[in-house]
Amino acid sequence: MSDIQSEMRATAKQLLESGEATVVIGWEKGTMPYNSTPVMIRSAADVDKLIWDEYCQQNLSTYLIDFIYTEDKVAIFAKGCDTRAYNRLIQDKRISADKCIVIGVPCSGMKSAKAAAKLPEGAEVPMSKACKECRYPNPVVFDRKIGQDVTPWCTEKDFSDVEAIEAMDQDAKAAFWKEQYTKCIRCYACRNICPACNCTNCIFDQSASGWQSKDINASENQFYGVTRAFHVAGRCIECGQCEMVCPSDVPIMLMNKKFIKDIDTLFGAYEAGLETEGPVPLSHYEVSDPEEFM
Amino acid sequence: MKTIEKAKLDSLFAQLAQNYSLLVPVDYNGLTQFAPYSQVQEGVSQLYLDGNVTVSPKTAYLPQSEAMYKFRAQGKKLAIEEMAGLDKQQVLFGVRHCDTKAIQCLDKVFLDEKFEDPQYKNKREQNIVFSLACNNPKATCFCESMGLDRAHAEASVADVQVYDFGDSFGFEAISDKGKACLDKLTGLGETASKLPDQKPQTLKFDVAGLPEKLKDMFEDPIWDEYSFKCLNCGTCSYICPTCHCFDINNKIRGEVGVKLRTWDSCMFNEYTLMAGGHQPRAGKKERVRNRFLHKLQYFNEKHDMSLCVGCGRCVAKCPVNVDITKFIRQVIG
Repeated sequence: MSDIQSEMRATAKQLLESGEATVVIGWEKGTMPYNSTPVMIRSAADVDKLIWDEYCQQNLSTYLIDFIYTEDKVAIFAKGCDTRAYNRLIQDKRISADKCIVIGVPCSGMKSAKAAAKLPEGAEVPMSKACKECRYPNPVVFDRKIGQDVTPWCTEKDFSDVEAIEAMDQDAKAAFWKEQYTKCIRCYACRNICPACNCTNCIFDQSASGWQSKDINASENQFYGVTRAFHVAGRCIECGQCEMVCPSDVPIMLMNKKFIKDIDTLFGAYEAGLETEGPVPLSHYEVSDPEEFM
Repeated sequence: MKTIEKAKLDSLFAQLAQNYSLLVPVDYNGLTQFAPYSQVQEGVSQLYLDGNVTVSPKTAYLPQSEAMYKFRAQGKKLAIEEMAGLDKQQVLFGVRHCDTKAIQCLDKVFLDEKFEDPQYKNKREQNIVFSLACNNPKATCFCESMGLDRAHAEASVADVQVYDFGDSFGFEAISDKGKACLDKLTGLGETASKLPDQKPQTLKFDVAGLPEKLKDMFEDPIWDEYSFKCLNCGTCSYICPTCHCFDINNKIRGEVGVKLRTWDSCMFNEYTLMAGGHQPRAGKKERVRNRFLHKLQYFNEKHDMSLCVGCGRCVAKCPVNVDITKFIRQVIG
């Protein structure tokens, strides 16, 4: 990993010194050994803050939105999932490729910071669930690349957790989700970290509209969760950040994966964020589309 | 000091539950918070005493969502129905010192000399706080640096001081309310043992002169550095034991409605959004700056105490590790 880290620093230095980029976004070491956290570097003198370790989980692509109205040329380091997120943002027309430099970094999977926080120091920390299920550890789009591609450890989508819920009867399903969403404190961390949640004006930021009450209860919270899941359906790139940042441990990815499974069944196998062109299952229309319900 | 073996804790809780509503720290499907003891009895939640809970016990004073009054349209008139307060005293068992201190902060806001918030006051009067001293602080705890006494809970809030002696808990009444509560309990032992050893906190720093230093830092570039990665989510404000901002809104169905008070966060867009559409705190920088300055400068200036009690929740739970302790250390230099 340290080779990649020194290459990251050298790349950042070169980009900033040459003026190719005015900002480089990478990761720096945080408070705890299991915290690696986003950092914005504007001066070549600061590149030594950059690190690359097994906790560089945070998707950096979403930060590109913060620079759409600045004069900056922004370079980001991007793992496989980050590049899929980047493609999503391009496809959603939220960012423009000519303002960005994507430095691809093949990733061997990140460890779960949540698990690490609960384990004694020195204990073996498991890989994050989303990383275990990752099929695209190598950058799918990049302007430059650091390090060598890795062999994906997972080739098929794993829906076993979704199937376990599908197997429940209706009452059990309702009870399960009610229990999970009773815990939700509606901090919106899942929404704010999500690369697919990139609306300029979110439905949940318009309380006067009456669409979503600010009341906190299982019903309102489920409305939030389901609405968000519907909105990212077909666009979720399975980075799993929503679930990782949830302070209440709501299994948010379960619902996202259910939509992915249904889309695969109804529209054919689809992987969000691999391409920026071509039809998208839920936002593409053709005259020949079946309209059985009409 | 009165004591009870941990093995007999259930009988203590059963006695408390007989006379009072009882809230205990629990783990509910992975979320730790204060909840009615009945949840533990029913097996819905597990008692959680290994560390502090994620959602602070401020929920017992300022619930995340609380009805202030109900209203009903009757022709052209409006009938108002006041909400009943807690009719029964409520014991909160195992509130950590940081969270006890946090209630003192909330007192400054809700029991202001010019206005007392009746709903807060009712809970403040009815709650009996058993405050547990921490022997094993987490790596993210920094209450000592914020001036807290790890051996003694904030006396204006705690009613009973609890110590963890390993196999048993020790109790010392602090207030009359606490004494009356302890006097009702039977089956307690008596010990004169010395206070338990407390492991030192590892996150330690100096905060002397912090509010004064911050006064001249409103336009400092440090805000760009710290706000860049902030997601503007509400995790920090919602799990913070002292964050107390709320919004008031209506929930109306037909002719009946409820006036609701719900938590709000200065990280959210709607928090400062003006009716005409103007947004005075447009971005991350303005919002992070406001939150940090409220905690570390403005509250000090107004109430002569910090609005950060060092519980470490935000350090542990911030999705992107925006670390207020790192910020303080950098400002102090």
